[in-house]
Amino acid sequence: MKLAELIQTSREYLSERLPLKHLDFQHMVEKKEVPVHRLSWGYYTGGLALFFFLVQVVTGLLLLFYYQPTVSDAHASVEYITDHVTGGALIRNLHAWTSSAMILAVLVHLLMTFAMKAFARPRELTWLSGVALLGITFAFGFTGYLLPWHQIAVNATKIGMQTIEALGDFLPGSMSEWPRLIRETIQGEASVGQATLSRFYALHVIVLPFSIAAMLGLHLLGIQLHGMSPGIDEEPRKQERFFPVFLIKDLSVWGVAFMVLFVLALCLPFEALYAYPLFAPFDPKSSTPEGIKPEWYFYFVYYPLEILPFWLVMLGQAVAGAVLLVTPWIFRGTSRKSLRLLAWGAAGYLLAMTLFGEQIYHLFKGGTL
Amino acid sequence: MKHPFRYRWGIFLTLLLWTSTMRLRAYPEFREFIVKHSQKPVNCAFCHQHSDGPEGMAAGQIGALNADQLQRLARARSAFEPGQAVDSPVLNPFGNSIIQRVGKKKFLELRLHPSELAPLLDPASDLDQDGIPDVKEYLEGTHPVNPNDGNPRMLFWVNLKRNLLPLAMTFSATVAGLFGLFHLLRGFDRAARLSITKEITTE
Repeated sequence: MKLAELIQTSREYLSERLPLKHLDFQHMVEKKEVPVHRLSWGYYTGGLALFFFLVQVVTGLLLLFYYQPTVSDAHASVEYITDHVTGGALIRNLHAWTSSAMILAVLVHLLMTFAMKAFARPRELTWLSGVALLGITFAFGFTGYLLPWHQIAVNATKIGMQTIEALGDFLPGSMSEWPRLIRETIQGEASVGQATLSRFYALHVIVLPFSIAAMLGLHLLGIQLHGMSPGIDEEPRKQERFFPVFLIKDLSVWGVAFMVLFVLALCLPFEALYAYPLFAPFDPKSSTPEGIKPEWYFYFVYYPLEILPFWLVMLGQAVAGAVLLVTPWIFRGTSRKSLRLLAWGAAGYLLAMTLFGEQIYHLFKGGTL
Repeated sequence: MKHPFRYRWGIFLTLLLWTSTMRLRAYPEFREFIVKHSQKPVNCAFCHQHSDGPEGMAAGQIGALNADQLQRLARARSAFEPGQAVDSPVLNPFGNSIIQRVGKKKFLELRLHPSELAPLLDPASDLDQDGIPDVKEYLEGTHPVNPNDGNPRMLFWVNLKRNLLPLAMTFSATVAGLFGLFHLLRGFDRAARLSITKEITTE
């Protein structure tokens, strides 16, 4: 293929995926319609994830006023925010609760998008940007977990780092060095310490926010240019106008989500869900406390790692990641009914590992984790 | 009054020698009971200042105490009967409250039956003011001097009752804000439709 042809093909491909001719008020607002059918609720999950992200940005910026990213002061500054800053406990709790809510919303949105076949041509780029957003959201969770510098934060991060490095044993040739290099680059020193905290902080407040803003821009642009995916095979019952009907409903969902978050943040400290020694400040001289686990949204990897051989779980995760990336092409001809079954299967696995992971572990291994 | 340097060191060394002849240790029997009863990991910071207990050189441990703190420690260690004021620098407020309530003598006896400590504690005491009595926190393995730690369900209901007014105000503000916003959006929509109708009519 000649270069001119290649450029022409690429242009055609991109103009179909990002039809900028629709970038006007008429297409994006006035004439935009949303199908109404039994899975219409799936259209609200993306907006909900966006709302949680906005709450994260606002509360995160407020926390930045007081948080100190040093191993000597990080935990004390978090305690200061919680105990002495007016409204500090509320803001911090909102940030913590919203982080979990955002990950949950992103996961549900991904499964709904899959079940509704919203990745199909010409929405491949929207899907890919969504998968990237999922990865960035998990990275936010992983980097933010370390920042309070308490026992569970540091010890769980150490385990995470060891897991990355252990991948090297299963890679061929010079690739086996890559995980170690990645671990060293992220960690910054021999063990999890000041360099790690500085890097996680930089990733959490600078690198990842810029990355998510770029991906979110592309994702939202794709959605606005193409409109909502039909979602079901048959003709929808009716169509409703995006502006103002759907937007008002979407904002109502945001209002309900805000109130739920506010009640949780005011009434239930996020730390109450951990055993107390785990959120005591990290002490490098003391022994590792019992009960170190990652956050709930990593249980789908953590419990299988405790039960099955490491290589098997990592292979499974790599395959799952690859399948996510090529979903628009490998499931091109799959019916929505089959996709819904697959989505239910994935949701079942995630729920089982998140809610009953420990019981499943005891079933296979016995003893305590 | 300022003591001469050597005199102060004399007091310090005497106290250090005296305290070192005593059994300088946390009482793991209580920790073991809490872990067994609550099924939660608990460390020495439940009653002590330091998570590794009183022995050591870190802040809140005996090796780091100054002369004044060593005197306070000695006074606390001699509080054998209940009701005496206890202000040990190696104990946290919960640890001090236990010794003050039951006395050192009874406390040492209870090492063989740590489950019997709970009924002897003040049922109304709530040092961290989180709405959960210290006795309940002792039995459930949640920190009695940390208001952010406690049975999640109890904490939720206690805080919900305490914050009814701010919650009602926030709810009203959210509903009012959304009501106004929705009307604004509908207004924009009508204005846009009106201008389109006018354009068509003009054409």
